[in-house]
Amino acid sequence: MNEKIIDVQNLSKTYRVPQRDPGIKAALNQFVSAKFQDVVAVNHVSFEVTAGEIVALIGPNGAGKTTTLKVLTGLLQPTGGSIMVAGHTPGKREHAFLRVISMVLGNKSQMLWDIPALDTFHVLGEIYQIEKIEVKQRIEELSLMLEMEDILKKPVRNLSLGERMKCELVASLLHRPQVLFLDEPTLGLDISIQNRLRSFIIQYNQRYQATIMLTSHYMADIERLCSRVLLIHHGELIYDGALNKLSEQLSNSKLIRVTVSEPLADIDAKEWSSFGAEILEQNHQNFTLRVEKTQAPACTAMLLNRYVVVDLVVENPPLEAVIDRIYQEGAV
Amino acid sequence: MNHRGGFALIKSTWLSWLQYRSFFFVLAFGWMIPPLVAMFVWLAASGQDGIQGIHRSEFVAYYLVLILVNQITYSQANWTLGDVIREGLLNNWLLRPISPVYQVLSSEFAGKFVYLVFTVPLTILLGLVLRPKIDISFLQLSFFLLSLILAWGLRFVWGYWLALLAFWFTRADALLALQDSLVFIFSGMIAPVSLLPGFLQDIATFLPFRYMVGFPVEIFTNQLTLAEIGLGLLIQSIWLIIALILCSWLWKNGLRRYSAIGG
Repeated sequence: MNEKIIDVQNLSKTYRVPQRDPGIKAALNQFVSAKFQDVVAVNHVSFEVTAGEIVALIGPNGAGKTTTLKVLTGLLQPTGGSIMVAGHTPGKREHAFLRVISMVLGNKSQMLWDIPALDTFHVLGEIYQIEKIEVKQRIEELSLMLEMEDILKKPVRNLSLGERMKCELVASLLHRPQVLFLDEPTLGLDISIQNRLRSFIIQYNQRYQATIMLTSHYMADIERLCSRVLLIHHGELIYDGALNKLSEQLSNSKLIRVTVSEPLADIDAKEWSSFGAEILEQNHQNFTLRVEKTQAPACTAMLLNRYVVVDLVVENPPLEAVIDRIYQEGAV
Repeated sequence: MNHRGGFALIKSTWLSWLQYRSFFFVLAFGWMIPPLVAMFVWLAASGQDGIQGIHRSEFVAYYLVLILVNQITYSQANWTLGDVIREGLLNNWLLRPISPVYQVLSSEFAGKFVYLVFTVPLTILLGLVLRPKIDISFLQLSFFLLSLILAWGLRFVWGYWLALLAFWFTRADALLALQDSLVFIFSGMIAPVSLLPGFLQDIATFLPFRYMVGFPVEIFTNQLTLAEIGLGLLIQSIWLIIALILCSWLWKNGLRRYSAIGG
Protein backbone atom coordinates (compact mmCIF):
# COMPACT_ATOMS: atom_id res chain seq x y z
CA MET A 1 0.00 0.00 0.00
CA ASN A 2 2.82 2.41 0.78
CA GLU A 3 4.08 2.80 -2.73
CA LYS A 4 5.08 6.16 -4.11
CA ILE A 5 2.54 7.22 -6.70
CA ILE A 6 3.70 10.77 -7.36
CA ASP A 7 7.38 11.57 -7.40
CA VAL A 8 8.43 15.12 -8.20
CA GLN A 9 12.11 16.06 -8.13
CA ASN A 10 13.33 19.59 -8.77
CA LEU A 11 10.32 20.57 -10.83
CA SER A 12 10.74 23.96 -12.47
CA LYS A 13 8.50 25.75 -14.91
CA THR A 14 9.35 29.03 -16.56
CA TYR A 15 6.92 30.84 -18.85
CA ARG A 16 7.98 33.19 -21.60
CA VAL A 17 5.55 36.05 -21.49
CA PRO A 18 5.41 38.65 -24.28
CA GLN A 19 6.01 42.19 -23.03
CA ARG A 20 5.26 45.51 -24.60
CA ASP A 21 4.74 49.14 -23.72
CA PRO A 22 1.29 50.67 -24.08
CA GLY A 23 0.32 52.40 -27.32
CA ILE A 24 -0.07 51.65 -30.99
CA LYS A 25 3.56 52.20 -31.88
CA ALA A 26 4.69 49.64 -29.35
CA ALA A 27 2.02 47.23 -30.59
CA LEU A 28 3.37 47.52 -34.14
CA ASN A 29 6.94 47.16 -32.91
CA GLN A 30 5.90 43.87 -31.38
CA PHE A 31 5.68 42.40 -34.90
CA VAL A 32 9.27 43.34 -35.71
CA SER A 33 11.06 42.62 -32.49
CA ALA A 34 8.97 40.83 -29.89
CA LYS A 35 10.24 41.18 -26.33
CA PHE A 36 9.75 38.42 -23.83
CA GLN A 37 10.21 38.17 -20.15
CA ASP A 38 10.87 34.92 -18.37
CA VAL A 39 8.50 34.33 -15.51
CA VAL A 40 9.39 31.59 -13.06
CA ALA A 41 6.13 29.94 -12.02
CA VAL A 42 7.55 26.93 -10.19
CA ASN A 43 11.09 26.78 -8.89
CA HIS A 44 12.86 23.54 -7.90
CA VAL A 45 9.92 21.94 -6.16
CA SER A 46 10.34 18.38 -4.86
CA PHE A 47 7.82 16.17 -3.09
CA GLU A 48 6.47 12.65 -3.04
CA VAL A 49 2.96 11.38 -2.52
CA THR A 50 2.09 7.90 -1.28
CA ALA A 51 -0.78 5.98 -2.85
CA GLY A 52 -4.06 6.68 -1.07
CA GLU A 53 -3.05 10.02 0.41
CA ILE A 54 -5.14 13.18 0.14
CA VAL A 55 -2.80 16.11 -0.24
CA ALA A 56 -3.63 19.80 -0.54
CA LEU A 57 -1.63 22.23 -2.56
CA ILE A 58 -2.13 25.67 -1.07
CA GLY A 59 -0.74 29.11 -1.67
CA PRO A 60 -1.89 32.58 -2.75
CA ASN A 61 -3.18 33.28 -6.26
CA GLY A 62 -0.38 33.02 -8.79
CA ALA A 63 1.82 30.97 -6.48
CA GLY A 64 2.17 28.13 -8.97
CA LYS A 65 -0.47 25.66 -7.75
CA THR A 66 -2.37 25.24 -11.00
CA THR A 67 0.88 25.18 -12.95
CA THR A 68 2.07 22.31 -10.76
CA LEU A 69 -1.19 20.40 -11.29
CA LYS A 70 -1.03 20.97 -15.04
CA VAL A 71 2.52 19.64 -15.17
CA LEU A 72 1.45 16.58 -13.15
CA THR A 73 -1.38 15.88 -15.60
CA GLY A 74 0.77 16.38 -18.69
CA LEU A 75 -0.96 19.55 -19.87
CA LEU A 76 2.23 21.52 -19.40
CA GLN A 77 5.80 20.50 -20.10
CA PRO A 78 8.17 21.19 -17.22
CA THR A 79 11.20 23.37 -17.89
CA GLY A 80 13.29 21.22 -15.58
CA GLY A 81 13.20 18.35 -13.14
CA SER A 82 11.78 14.86 -13.27
CA ILE A 83 8.18 13.87 -12.64
CA MET A 84 6.63 10.44 -12.35
CA VAL A 85 2.91 9.91 -11.81
CA ALA A 86 1.58 6.37 -11.48
CA GLY A 87 4.69 5.07 -13.19
CA HIS A 88 4.45 7.39 -16.20
CA THR A 89 6.06 10.61 -17.34
CA PRO A 90 3.04 12.90 -17.65
CA GLY A 91 4.49 15.08 -20.42
CA LYS A 92 4.38 12.16 -22.86
CA ARG A 93 0.60 12.01 -22.50
CA GLU A 94 0.47 8.28 -23.18
CA HIS A 95 -3.04 6.86 -23.24
CA ALA A 96 -2.02 4.35 -20.58
CA PHE A 97 -1.26 7.33 -18.33
CA LEU A 98 -4.41 9.28 -19.19
CA ARG A 99 -6.49 6.23 -18.31
CA VAL A 100 -5.30 6.19 -14.69
CA ILE A 101 -5.58 9.90 -13.89
CA SER A 102 -8.33 12.47 -13.88
CA MET A 103 -8.56 16.17 -13.40
CA VAL A 104 -11.42 18.45 -12.42
CA LEU A 105 -10.93 22.11 -13.21
CA GLY A 106 -13.34 24.06 -11.00
CA ASN A 107 -13.77 26.77 -13.60
CA LYS A 108 -13.80 24.74 -16.84
CA SER A 109 -16.52 22.22 -17.53
CA GLN A 110 -15.95 18.91 -19.26
CA MET A 111 -19.69 18.24 -19.60
CA LEU A 112 -21.48 18.51 -22.93
CA TRP A 113 -23.70 21.50 -22.40
CA ASP A 114 -26.85 20.74 -24.33
CA ILE A 115 -27.52 17.12 -23.49
CA PRO A 116 -28.29 15.32 -20.23
CA ALA A 117 -25.34 14.43 -17.99
CA LEU A 118 -26.15 10.76 -18.49
CA ASP A 119 -25.25 11.05 -22.19
CA THR A 120 -21.87 12.59 -21.40
CA PHE A 121 -21.19 9.79 -18.90
CA HIS A 122 -21.92 7.13 -21.51
CA VAL A 123 -19.65 8.83 -24.05
CA LEU A 124 -16.88 8.85 -21.45
CA GLY A 125 -17.52 5.17 -20.78
CA GLU A 126 -16.92 4.52 -24.47
CA ILE A 127 -13.81 6.71 -24.59
CA TYR A 128 -12.32 4.82 -21.66
CA GLN A 129 -13.61 1.57 -23.17
CA ILE A 130 -15.48 0.37 -20.10
CA GLU A 131 -18.12 -2.35 -20.42
CA LYS A 132 -21.60 -0.84 -20.82
CA ILE A 133 -23.03 -2.68 -17.81
CA GLU A 134 -20.08 -1.61 -15.72
CA VAL A 135 -20.58 2.04 -16.75
CA LYS A 136 -24.21 1.84 -15.67
CA GLN A 137 -23.28 0.39 -12.31
CA ARG A 138 -20.62 3.02 -11.69
CA ILE A 139 -22.98 5.86 -12.60
CA GLU A 140 -25.56 4.45 -10.20
CA GLU A 141 -23.03 4.04 -7.43
CA LEU A 142 -21.52 7.51 -7.78
CA SER A 143 -24.83 9.30 -8.18
CA LEU A 144 -26.11 7.54 -5.09
CA MET A 145 -23.08 8.68 -3.13
CA LEU A 146 -23.59 12.25 -4.34
CA GLU A 147 -27.40 12.19 -4.02
CA MET A 148 -27.94 13.33 -7.58
CA GLU A 149 -30.10 10.64 -9.22
CA ASP A 150 -32.78 13.20 -10.05
CA ILE A 151 -30.56 15.46 -12.14
CA LEU A 152 -29.02 12.85 -14.44
CA LYS A 153 -31.61 13.29 -17.18
CA LYS A 154 -31.67 17.08 -17.32
CA PRO A 155 -29.61 18.98 -19.89
CA VAL A 156 -26.45 20.18 -18.18
CA ARG A 157 -27.10 23.83 -19.05
CA ASN A 158 -30.22 23.72 -16.85
CA LEU A 159 -28.31 22.59 -13.76
CA SER A 160 -27.10 24.77 -10.90
CA LEU A 161 -23.41 25.26 -10.22
CA GLY A 162 -23.46 22.72 -7.39
CA GLU A 163 -25.29 20.13 -9.46
CA ARG A 164 -22.83 20.66 -12.27
CA MET A 165 -19.88 20.12 -9.97
CA LYS A 166 -21.40 16.81 -8.89
CA CYS A 167 -21.59 15.86 -12.57
CA GLU A 168 -17.96 16.88 -13.06
CA LEU A 169 -16.94 14.57 -10.25
CA VAL A 170 -18.87 11.61 -11.66
CA ALA A 171 -17.44 12.32 -15.13
CA SER A 172 -13.92 12.31 -13.79
CA LEU A 173 -14.33 9.18 -11.67
CA LEU A 174 -16.12 6.83 -14.08
CA HIS A 175 -12.86 5.22 -15.17
CA ARG A 176 -11.72 4.79 -11.54
CA PRO A 177 -8.54 6.84 -11.79
CA GLN A 178 -5.71 5.99 -9.42
CA VAL A 179 -4.84 9.65 -9.10
CA LEU A 180 -7.40 12.44 -9.03
CA PHE A 181 -6.44 16.09 -9.37
CA LEU A 182 -8.99 18.64 -8.19
CA ASP A 183 -8.37 22.29 -8.98
CA GLU A 184 -10.60 24.33 -6.66
CA PRO A 185 -13.48 21.86 -6.64
CA THR A 186 -15.61 23.86 -4.20
CA LEU A 187 -15.22 27.24 -5.92
CA GLY A 188 -18.44 29.21 -5.65
CA LEU A 189 -20.50 26.47 -4.00
CA ASP A 190 -22.75 26.91 -0.98
CA ILE A 191 -21.83 25.50 2.42
CA SER A 192 -24.03 22.42 2.32
CA ILE A 193 -22.87 21.37 -1.13
CA GLN A 194 -19.27 21.98 -0.05
CA ASN A 195 -19.88 19.63 2.88
CA ARG A 196 -21.54 17.04 0.67
CA LEU A 197 -18.62 17.10 -1.76
CA ARG A 198 -16.10 16.84 1.05
CA SER A 199 -17.68 13.78 2.56
CA PHE A 200 -17.97 12.28 -0.89
CA ILE A 201 -14.27 12.80 -1.56
CA ILE A 202 -13.36 11.15 1.75
CA GLN A 203 -15.75 8.27 1.13
CA TYR A 204 -14.42 7.74 -2.38
CA ASN A 205 -10.82 7.89 -1.19
CA GLN A 206 -11.50 5.25 1.45
CA ARG A 207 -13.47 2.98 -0.84
CA TYR A 208 -11.01 2.94 -3.73
CA GLN A 209 -7.74 4.05 -2.15
CA ALA A 210 -7.51 6.73 -4.82
CA THR A 211 -4.76 9.29 -4.37
CA ILE A 212 -6.16 12.79 -4.40
CA MET A 213 -4.35 16.05 -4.86
CA LEU A 214 -6.35 19.25 -4.60
CA THR A 215 -5.96 22.97 -4.55
CA SER A 216 -8.36 25.18 -2.66
CA HIS A 217 -8.61 28.53 -1.00
CA TYR A 218 -11.09 27.25 1.55
CA MET A 219 -9.32 26.17 4.73
CA ALA A 220 -12.40 24.12 5.62
CA ASP A 221 -11.74 21.91 2.58
CA ILE A 222 -8.21 21.33 3.69
CA GLU A 223 -8.88 20.83 7.40
CA ARG A 224 -11.55 18.30 6.60
CA LEU A 225 -9.89 16.41 3.76
CA CYS A 226 -6.16 16.54 3.88
CA SER A 227 -3.72 14.84 6.16
CA ARG A 228 -0.98 16.84 4.55
CA VAL A 229 -0.48 20.21 2.91
CA LEU A 230 2.09 21.49 0.48
CA LEU A 231 2.43 25.24 0.69
CA ILE A 232 3.71 26.96 -2.41
CA HIS A 233 4.69 30.59 -2.47
CA HIS A 234 6.29 32.43 -5.39
CA GLY A 235 6.84 29.05 -7.02
CA GLU A 236 8.74 27.58 -4.11
CA LEU A 237 7.66 24.86 -1.74
CA ILE A 238 7.92 26.44 1.70
CA TYR A 239 6.10 23.87 3.78
CA ASP A 240 5.32 20.17 3.51
CA GLY A 241 3.57 18.52 6.43
CA ALA A 242 0.45 18.37 8.58
CA LEU A 243 -1.85 21.37 8.63
CA ASN A 244 -2.04 21.72 12.43
CA LYS A 245 1.75 21.63 12.68
CA LEU A 246 1.81 24.47 10.18
CA SER A 247 -0.26 26.75 12.37
CA GLU A 248 1.70 25.78 15.48
CA GLN A 249 5.00 26.35 13.77
CA LEU A 250 3.88 29.55 12.27
CA SER A 251 2.21 31.52 14.83
CA ASN A 252 4.41 32.64 17.60
CA SER A 253 1.38 34.29 19.16
CA LYS A 254 -1.56 33.19 21.32
CA LEU A 255 -4.97 34.72 21.64
CA ILE A 256 -6.33 35.31 25.14
CA ARG A 257 -10.08 35.80 25.38
CA VAL A 258 -11.17 37.19 28.72
CA THR A 259 -14.54 37.93 30.24
CA VAL A 260 -14.50 40.06 33.38
CA SER A 261 -17.26 40.55 35.97
CA GLU A 262 -17.75 44.30 35.54
CA PRO A 263 -17.50 46.51 32.49
CA LEU A 264 -14.15 48.21 32.43
CA ALA A 265 -14.34 51.98 32.36
CA ASP A 266 -10.92 52.40 30.87
CA ILE A 267 -7.96 50.19 30.32
CA ASP A 268 -4.46 51.17 31.14
CA ALA A 269 -2.46 50.63 27.99
CA LYS A 270 0.80 50.41 29.90
CA GLU A 271 -0.23 47.22 31.60
CA TRP A 272 -0.49 45.43 28.26
CA SER A 273 2.49 46.89 26.55
CA SER A 274 4.87 45.50 29.17
CA PHE A 275 3.86 42.04 27.89
CA GLY A 276 3.96 43.09 24.27
CA ALA A 277 0.26 42.36 24.10
CA GLU A 278 -2.21 44.13 21.87
CA ILE A 279 -5.99 44.42 22.17
CA LEU A 280 -7.75 43.01 19.14
CA GLU A 281 -11.36 43.36 20.27
CA GLN A 282 -13.10 44.98 23.19
CA ASN A 283 -16.77 44.78 23.94
CA HIS A 284 -18.18 45.55 27.42
CA GLN A 285 -16.91 42.77 29.65
CA ASN A 286 -15.20 40.80 26.86
CA PHE A 287 -11.89 41.47 25.27
CA THR A 288 -9.35 39.63 23.16
CA LEU A 289 -5.60 40.06 23.44
CA ARG A 290 -2.78 38.86 21.25
CA VAL A 291 0.51 38.09 22.97
CA GLU A 292 3.67 36.32 22.04
CA LYS A 293 3.65 32.64 22.97
CA THR A 294 6.38 33.05 25.58
CA GLN A 295 4.52 35.90 27.25
CA ALA A 296 1.18 34.13 27.43
CA PRO A 297 1.57 32.57 30.93
CA ALA A 298 2.79 35.79 32.53
CA CYS A 299 0.09 37.82 30.86
CA THR A 300 -2.59 35.35 31.94
CA ALA A 301 -1.32 35.52 35.54
CA MET A 302 -1.45 39.29 35.46
CA LEU A 303 -5.04 39.25 34.20
CA LEU A 304 -6.13 36.86 36.94
CA ASN A 305 -4.50 39.05 39.58
CA ARG A 306 -5.69 42.36 38.34
CA TYR A 307 -9.34 41.64 37.42
CA VAL A 308 -12.22 39.52 38.58
CA VAL A 309 -12.16 37.06 35.68
CA VAL A 310 -15.32 35.15 34.80
CA ASP A 311 -13.91 33.32 31.85
CA LEU A 312 -10.49 33.01 30.25
CA VAL A 313 -9.41 31.07 27.16
CA VAL A 314 -5.93 30.83 25.65
CA GLU A 315 -5.94 29.62 22.05
CA ASN A 316 -4.08 29.52 18.75
CA PRO A 317 -4.99 32.17 16.20
CA PRO A 318 -7.49 30.95 13.56
CA LEU A 319 -6.02 29.14 10.60
CA GLU A 320 -7.19 31.73 8.08
CA ALA A 321 -5.28 34.44 9.92
CA VAL A 322 -2.15 32.32 10.02
CA ILE A 323 -2.33 31.46 6.35
CA ASP A 324 -2.98 35.09 5.52
CA ARG A 325 0.21 36.07 7.31
CA ILE A 326 2.29 33.53 5.42
CA TYR A 327 0.82 34.66 2.12
CA GLN A 328 1.65 38.26 2.99
CA GLU A 329 5.11 37.63 4.33
CA GLY A 330 6.06 34.76 2.06
CA ALA A 331 7.86 32.63 4.61
CA VAL A 332 7.05 30.02 7.23
CA MET B 1 -6.66 4.60 -32.26
CA ASN B 2 -9.81 4.65 -30.23
CA HIS B 3 -12.65 4.19 -32.72
CA ARG B 4 -15.11 3.13 -30.06
CA GLY B 5 -14.75 6.44 -28.28
CA GLY B 6 -14.83 8.26 -31.62
CA PHE B 7 -18.21 6.81 -32.58
CA ALA B 8 -19.60 7.69 -29.17
CA LEU B 9 -18.40 11.28 -29.63
CA ILE B 10 -20.09 11.54 -33.02
CA LYS B 11 -23.33 10.27 -31.53
CA SER B 12 -23.24 12.68 -28.61
CA THR B 13 -22.35 15.68 -30.77
CA TRP B 14 -25.20 14.73 -33.04
CA LEU B 15 -27.56 14.62 -30.06
CA SER B 16 -26.34 18.06 -28.98
CA TRP B 17 -26.86 19.49 -32.41
CA LEU B 18 -30.32 18.15 -32.89
CA GLN B 19 -31.24 20.55 -30.09
CA TYR B 20 -30.37 23.36 -32.46
CA ARG B 21 -31.50 21.99 -35.80
CA SER B 22 -33.27 25.16 -36.84
CA PHE B 23 -30.05 27.14 -36.30
CA PHE B 24 -28.17 24.74 -38.55
CA PHE B 25 -30.92 24.84 -41.15
CA VAL B 26 -30.53 28.61 -41.32
CA LEU B 27 -26.76 28.20 -41.70
CA ALA B 28 -27.20 25.62 -44.44
CA PHE B 29 -29.65 27.89 -46.22
CA GLY B 30 -27.09 30.71 -46.04
CA TRP B 31 -24.48 28.50 -47.72
CA MET B 32 -26.86 27.72 -50.58
CA ILE B 33 -27.43 31.36 -51.45
CA PRO B 34 -24.17 32.31 -53.29
CA PRO B 35 -24.30 29.37 -55.74
CA LEU B 36 -28.03 29.93 -56.26
CA VAL B 37 -27.45 33.60 -57.08
CA ALA B 38 -24.62 32.64 -59.44
CA MET B 39 -26.89 30.09 -61.10
CA PHE B 40 -29.68 32.59 -61.76
CA VAL B 41 -27.19 35.13 -63.15
CA TRP B 42 -25.79 32.53 -65.57
CA LEU B 43 -29.27 31.38 -66.53
CA ALA B 44 -30.22 34.95 -67.40
CA ALA B 45 -26.96 35.51 -69.29
CA SER B 46 -27.07 32.30 -71.28
CA GLY B 47 -30.52 32.93 -72.80
CA GLN B 48 -31.59 30.38 -75.43
CA ASP B 49 -28.21 29.82 -77.09
CA GLY B 50 -26.07 29.09 -74.08
CA ILE B 51 -22.54 30.34 -73.36
CA GLN B 52 -19.49 28.56 -74.76
CA GLY B 53 -21.58 25.49 -75.45
CA ILE B 54 -23.11 25.31 -71.97
CA HIS B 55 -26.87 25.44 -72.08
CA ARG B 56 -29.55 26.35 -69.62
CA SER B 57 -30.28 22.85 -68.36
CA GLU B 58 -26.56 22.19 -68.03
CA PHE B 59 -26.10 25.28 -65.88
CA VAL B 60 -28.93 24.07 -63.69
CA ALA B 61 -27.37 20.62 -63.37
CA TYR B 62 -23.95 22.14 -62.64
CA TYR B 63 -25.20 24.38 -59.87
CA LEU B 64 -27.57 21.94 -58.23
CA VAL B 65 -24.80 19.35 -58.00
CA LEU B 66 -22.47 22.11 -56.81
CA ILE B 67 -24.84 23.03 -53.99
CA LEU B 68 -24.78 19.43 -52.77
CA VAL B 69 -21.02 19.02 -53.19
CA ASN B 70 -20.43 22.35 -51.44
CA GLN B 71 -22.57 21.21 -48.54
CA ILE B 72 -20.93 17.79 -48.29
CA THR B 73 -17.40 19.17 -48.41
CA TYR B 74 -17.92 22.32 -46.33
CA SER B 75 -16.13 21.75 -43.08
CA GLN B 76 -17.52 23.93 -40.34
CA ALA B 77 -15.76 21.96 -37.61
CA ASN B 78 -12.60 23.95 -38.19
CA TRP B 79 -14.31 27.17 -37.18
CA THR B 80 -14.75 25.91 -33.63
CA LEU B 81 -11.26 24.42 -33.29
CA GLY B 82 -9.73 27.90 -33.04
CA ASP B 83 -12.09 28.79 -30.18
CA VAL B 84 -11.26 25.57 -28.40
CA ILE B 85 -7.56 26.36 -28.53
CA ARG B 86 -7.99 30.03 -27.60
CA GLU B 87 -10.33 29.46 -24.68
CA GLY B 88 -8.32 26.65 -23.11
CA LEU B 89 -11.03 24.03 -23.67
CA LEU B 90 -8.34 22.00 -25.37
CA ASN B 91 -7.28 20.95 -21.86
CA ASN B 92 -10.39 18.79 -21.58
CA TRP B 93 -9.52 17.11 -24.87
CA LEU B 94 -5.90 16.55 -23.92
CA LEU B 95 -6.83 14.82 -20.66
CA ARG B 96 -8.72 12.05 -22.45
CA PRO B 97 -7.16 8.90 -23.88
CA ILE B 98 -8.44 9.69 -27.36
CA SER B 99 -6.89 11.72 -30.15
CA PRO B 100 -8.33 15.26 -30.35
CA VAL B 101 -8.87 14.70 -34.08
CA TYR B 102 -11.89 12.62 -33.11
CA GLN B 103 -13.41 15.62 -31.38
CA VAL B 104 -13.19 17.66 -34.57
CA LEU B 105 -14.27 14.77 -36.78
CA SER B 106 -17.26 14.15 -34.54
CA SER B 107 -18.61 17.64 -35.03
CA GLU B 108 -17.78 17.35 -38.73
CA PHE B 109 -19.83 14.18 -39.21
CA ALA B 110 -22.61 15.27 -36.89
CA GLY B 111 -22.82 18.51 -38.85
CA LYS B 112 -22.89 16.76 -42.23
CA PHE B 113 -25.92 14.80 -41.20
CA VAL B 114 -27.89 17.73 -39.83
CA TYR B 115 -27.13 19.94 -42.85
CA LEU B 116 -27.91 17.30 -45.45
CA VAL B 117 -31.29 16.61 -43.90
CA PHE B 118 -32.08 20.16 -44.94
CA THR B 119 -30.14 20.57 -48.18
CA VAL B 120 -30.95 17.32 -50.00
CA PRO B 121 -34.76 17.67 -50.08
CA LEU B 122 -34.47 21.34 -51.00
CA THR B 123 -32.12 20.57 -53.90
CA ILE B 124 -34.41 17.80 -55.16
CA LEU B 125 -37.30 20.24 -55.03
CA LEU B 126 -35.29 22.79 -57.05
CA GLY B 127 -34.41 20.03 -59.50
CA LEU B 128 -38.08 19.19 -60.05
CA VAL B 129 -38.82 22.82 -60.84
CA LEU B 130 -35.73 23.72 -62.91
CA ARG B 131 -35.21 20.40 -64.75
CA PRO B 132 -31.47 19.90 -64.97
CA LYS B 133 -29.83 17.82 -67.71
CA ILE B 134 -28.10 14.83 -66.14
CA ASP B 135 -26.40 12.22 -68.26
CA ILE B 136 -23.75 10.25 -66.43
CA SER B 137 -22.01 6.94 -67.07
CA PHE B 138 -21.08 4.44 -64.39
CA LEU B 139 -17.38 5.22 -64.86
CA GLN B 140 -17.98 8.95 -64.41
CA LEU B 141 -20.07 8.30 -61.36
CA SER B 142 -17.22 6.26 -59.84
CA PHE B 143 -14.72 9.04 -60.58
CA PHE B 144 -17.17 11.55 -59.17
CA LEU B 145 -17.50 9.66 -55.89
CA LEU B 146 -13.73 9.24 -55.59
CA SER B 147 -13.08 12.91 -56.25
CA LEU B 148 -15.90 13.87 -53.87
CA ILE B 149 -14.29 11.97 -51.01
CA LEU B 150 -10.91 13.51 -51.82
CA ALA B 151 -12.54 16.95 -52.07
CA TRP B 152 -14.05 16.59 -48.62
CA GLY B 153 -10.73 15.34 -47.23
CA LEU B 154 -8.85 18.23 -48.83
CA ARG B 155 -11.28 20.91 -47.67
CA PHE B 156 -11.37 19.48 -44.15
CA VAL B 157 -7.61 19.06 -43.75
CA TRP B 158 -6.93 22.41 -45.41
CA GLY B 159 -9.24 24.16 -42.95
CA TYR B 160 -7.73 22.15 -40.12
CA TRP B 161 -4.22 23.45 -40.67
CA LEU B 162 -5.52 26.99 -40.97
CA ALA B 163 -7.40 26.53 -37.70
CA LEU B 164 -4.28 25.16 -36.01
CA LEU B 165 -2.62 28.53 -36.55
CA ALA B 166 -4.70 29.56 -33.51
CA PHE B 167 -1.81 28.16 -31.47
CA TRP B 168 0.19 31.18 -32.63
CA PHE B 169 -2.32 33.85 -33.64
CA THR B 170 -5.37 34.80 -31.64
CA ARG B 171 -7.71 35.36 -34.58
CA ALA B 172 -6.66 32.64 -36.99
CA ASP B 173 -10.30 32.21 -38.02
CA ALA B 174 -9.87 35.28 -40.23
CA LEU B 175 -7.87 32.96 -42.49
CA LEU B 176 -10.84 30.61 -42.67
CA ALA B 177 -12.97 33.51 -43.90
CA LEU B 178 -10.27 34.25 -46.48
CA GLN B 179 -10.32 30.63 -47.55
CA ASP B 180 -14.09 30.82 -48.05
CA SER B 181 -13.62 33.82 -50.34
CA LEU B 182 -10.91 32.06 -52.36
CA VAL B 183 -13.15 29.02 -52.66
CA PHE B 184 -15.95 31.25 -53.92
CA ILE B 185 -13.75 32.66 -56.68
CA PHE B 186 -11.55 29.72 -57.68
CA SER B 187 -13.62 26.65 -56.92
CA GLY B 188 -16.13 27.09 -59.69
CA MET B 189 -18.79 28.62 -57.49
CA ILE B 190 -18.93 32.10 -59.02
CA ALA B 191 -18.66 30.50 -62.47
CA PRO B 192 -17.65 27.11 -63.82
CA VAL B 193 -13.85 27.16 -64.04
CA SER B 194 -14.03 26.69 -67.83
CA LEU B 195 -15.81 30.04 -68.11
CA LEU B 196 -13.22 31.99 -66.10
CA PRO B 197 -10.85 34.31 -68.04
CA GLY B 198 -7.75 32.49 -69.30
CA PHE B 199 -5.24 33.50 -66.62
CA LEU B 200 -7.70 32.83 -63.80
CA GLN B 201 -8.38 29.42 -65.30
CA ASP B 202 -4.65 28.59 -65.19
CA ILE B 203 -4.40 29.75 -61.59
CA ALA B 204 -7.51 27.79 -60.61
CA THR B 205 -6.11 24.61 -62.14
CA PHE B 206 -3.12 24.62 -59.84
CA LEU B 207 -4.53 26.12 -56.64
CA PRO B 208 -6.24 23.68 -54.24
CA PHE B 209 -9.64 25.41 -54.18
CA ARG B 210 -11.10 23.98 -57.40
CA TYR B 211 -10.42 20.51 -56.00
CA MET B 212 -12.54 21.25 -52.95
CA VAL B 213 -15.81 21.86 -54.86
CA GLY B 214 -15.73 22.45 -58.62
CA PHE B 215 -13.70 19.45 -59.76
CA PRO B 216 -16.15 16.69 -58.75
CA VAL B 217 -19.02 18.77 -60.17
CA GLU B 218 -17.20 19.06 -63.50
CA ILE B 219 -16.81 15.28 -63.58
CA PHE B 220 -20.47 14.77 -62.77
CA THR B 221 -21.64 17.20 -65.44
CA ASN B 222 -19.47 15.63 -68.13
CA GLN B 223 -17.14 18.60 -68.74
CA LEU B 224 -13.84 16.72 -68.50
CA THR B 225 -11.95 14.21 -70.65
CA LEU B 226 -10.50 11.11 -69.06
CA ALA B 227 -7.01 12.65 -69.19
CA GLU B 228 -8.26 15.79 -67.46
CA ILE B 229 -9.92 13.70 -64.78
CA GLY B 230 -6.66 11.79 -64.22
CA LEU B 231 -4.61 14.99 -63.94
CA GLY B 232 -7.22 16.50 -61.63
CA LEU B 233 -7.19 13.53 -59.27
CA LEU B 234 -3.40 13.71 -59.18
CA ILE B 235 -3.35 17.42 -58.31
CA GLN B 236 -6.12 16.84 -55.75
CA SER B 237 -4.12 14.06 -54.07
CA ILE B 238 -0.93 16.12 -54.02
CA TRP B 239 -2.69 19.03 -52.28
CA LEU B 240 -4.25 16.62 -49.82
CA ILE B 241 -0.84 15.18 -48.94
CA ILE B 242 0.64 18.69 -48.56
CA ALA B 243 -2.23 19.68 -46.28
CA LEU B 244 -1.79 16.51 -44.20
CA ILE B 245 1.92 17.19 -43.75
CA LEU B 246 1.22 20.81 -42.76
CA CYS B 247 -1.39 19.61 -40.28
CA SER B 248 0.78 17.11 -38.51
CA TRP B 249 3.68 19.56 -38.34
CA LEU B 250 1.51 22.38 -37.01
CA TRP B 251 -0.22 20.10 -34.51
CA LYS B 252 3.05 18.79 -33.11
CA ASN B 253 4.65 22.20 -32.84
CA GLY B 254 1.48 23.93 -31.78
CA LEU B 255 0.97 21.49 -28.97
CA ARG B 256 4.56 21.95 -27.87
CA ARG B 257 3.98 25.69 -27.76
CA TYR B 258 0.64 25.27 -25.97
CA SER B 259 2.17 23.09 -23.29
CA ALA B 260 5.04 25.52 -22.91
CA ILE B 261 2.97 28.66 -22.41
CA GLY B 262 -0.05 27.06 -20.78
CA GLY B 263 -3.66 26.92 -21.87
